[in-house]
Amino acid sequence: MKIGILSFAHHHAEAYISNLRRMDNVELLGVADHGTTRGEALAKQHEARYFPSYETLLEAKPDGVIICTENNRHRALVEMVASRGVHVLCEKPMATTHSDAKAIVDVCHRAGVILMTAFPMRFSAPLMEIKKRLDNGDFGDVYCFNATNQGELPTKHRAWFVDPELAGGGAIMDHTVHLVDIMRWFIGFEVETMYARSNKILYADEVQVETGALEMLTFTNNMFATIDASWCRPQYWPTWGGLTFEMVTERGAVFADAFRQNISVYSHDAQRANWSYWGSDMNHAMVSEFTAAIRENREPRVTGVDGLRAVEAALAAYESTRTGKTVQVQRA
Amino acid sequence: MKVGIVGVGFMGATHASGWADTPAKIVGFTAETEQEARALATQHHAKVYPDLNSMLPDVDVVDICSPTYLHHEMILEAAAAGKHIICEKPLARTTQQAREAVEACKEAGVQLLVAHVVRFFAEYALAQSAIANGQIGKPAVLRLHRGSYRPKKPAGNWFLDEAKSGGILMDLMIHDYDYARWVAGDVETVSARRVTESHPDAPVDYGLVILGHKSGAISHIAGSWAYPPPTFITRFEIAGDRGLIEFDSDGTAPIHNLILKTGGGDTPDVGLPASPVSESPYTTQIKEFYAALADGKPTRVHATDGLASVQIAEAAIQSAQSGQPVHLQPLMEV
Repeated sequence: MKIGILSFAHHHAEAYISNLRRMDNVELLGVADHGTTRGEALAKQHEARYFPSYETLLEAKPDGVIICTENNRHRALVEMVASRGVHVLCEKPMATTHSDAKAIVDVCHRAGVILMTAFPMRFSAPLMEIKKRLDNGDFGDVYCFNATNQGELPTKHRAWFVDPELAGGGAIMDHTVHLVDIMRWFIGFEVETMYARSNKILYADEVQVETGALEMLTFTNNMFATIDASWCRPQYWPTWGGLTFEMVTERGAVFADAFRQNISVYSHDAQRANWSYWGSDMNHAMVSEFTAAIRENREPRVTGVDGLRAVEAALAAYESTRTGKTVQVQRA
Repeated sequence: MKVGIVGVGFMGATHASGWADTPAKIVGFTAETEQEARALATQHHAKVYPDLNSMLPDVDVVDICSPTYLHHEMILEAAAAGKHIICEKPLARTTQQAREAVEACKEAGVQLLVAHVVRFFAEYALAQSAIANGQIGKPAVLRLHRGSYRPKKPAGNWFLDEAKSGGILMDLMIHDYDYARWVAGDVETVSARRVTESHPDAPVDYGLVILGHKSGAISHIAGSWAYPPPTFITRFEIAGDRGLIEFDSDGTAPIHNLILKTGGGDTPDVGLPASPVSESPYTTQIKEFYAALADGKPTRVHATDGLASVQIAEAAIQSAQSGQPVHLQPLMEV
């Protein structure tokens, strides 16, 4: 099976290269990037074949592609890929507008290709353990989540993450979708209402988008949650950030810290503490699921609709910051 | 200085220990019944009074540690008698009552000191002073967490009576509304949810509140009565434009007890922090209040702070019911 990577805009593309290389019966076809020197240089660095355009990569007949462009460029590429009958794993957030996200889901459905959203947290070993015990009834009814997905300012990876047009927003767009997806996965209900308040005190002079954000959401089953989506981790924090939640149930509470499996490293070179992650590689498990779904011709564990629902929640958060009210989440 | 203490529950006893470390004299105690006040009165060589009214002529200061819903009428009574007042948090059950209490004390020319004890906990005081000194720049996102188990009382558990205590969104979480205000200034919007609103029969309770400050900062306040006894944890995290402060009571606990249990130990009525320090923050608080009353020294918490945090708590209760954020009315200068 041949898998191609479209664009190096998202730095995860580099991780996916090594994920694909370590898989049996999967060939990394190569990487295409649009008209930048970045693509060729990174392809060379990772010893991957470079395609000067998306079209040339598609002509090499991949079975599936991983789309790693900027958020607002996913749609055009998905339309191109789906029309050629190629399966899609799309980076998150799926799109920056409701119509784009809906179009992505629809075009893949009509073309009969697999559409998977890149939500690696669904493949986190600690989170899968909690989900298993939840389904086993060990915790009883879930009442609420108190969740955080905090990070450093992502500009050290790519400048476009703080571009209002290319990224579709700031911290809210970047960090809402993972937790919305985790909660939907855990409890099986949809987000019904959203309230959000954001600010731009952190990095006020450096970026145009919100850097601090708190959200309060409710689900169709009466469960509620908060999400802290802030880019509030200093560049010198021991790691990039993290994802945590407290799940409150009729039996008490469960704390989860998905990226806590670290060793603390203090080196003369760094002159600060560094947390080195030794937990399992969830990206690898996610890309494996994509290739398995292609091989077995079935729906992947995370679908395009999952990506759409998460985008809808993030867009509702923006609507709430504009209106100052709790708003209904519009579902297509 | 002669002090009379109203209420002999955990807070009455704790305040009494604090007063015992000051030059003030505890003259007496009063409680719902004389019987329940006797042990504490004996311990502090003080009298038992049948009620506040009969205690007032003998004291200079009234320290109110009664259930929340009784604060208002007791403050008005003590103020009318010209006595200085120390009052446990929340200052009152409603904003209107808190406002009347502040106004009555101002008109009577007596001091009203509200026991927002979190401001006296060393870790919270240190973080506030680090922020006031500019160590992390301008506060942007605050996360404050306080978690324990549902308060236990042998009978008539007023903590669990919404009308009397205000429930978790008021009784427990008011500590952190006050702290958020101390660090990031006045609050203009309050959005809240709690478990017993969406699940009235839940055996646990948990509240989540988002505050919008006038400064632009946002605060996330979480309060839990969902943990197994004797858990009591507090955490805070304050992100500023020049740094970050983190605190976790569990992570910084200097002692971890892994001793085998030999008997069926009981847990206290209310979960308490257990990071040993040389002076209880409750005592630090009473000493500062004593210095304010005896020598006119400044205090770190004022009557209007007590009023403002009651206003936030009341808005949180309202928001949890309506599902919409509440915009706070500016408090008149009182």
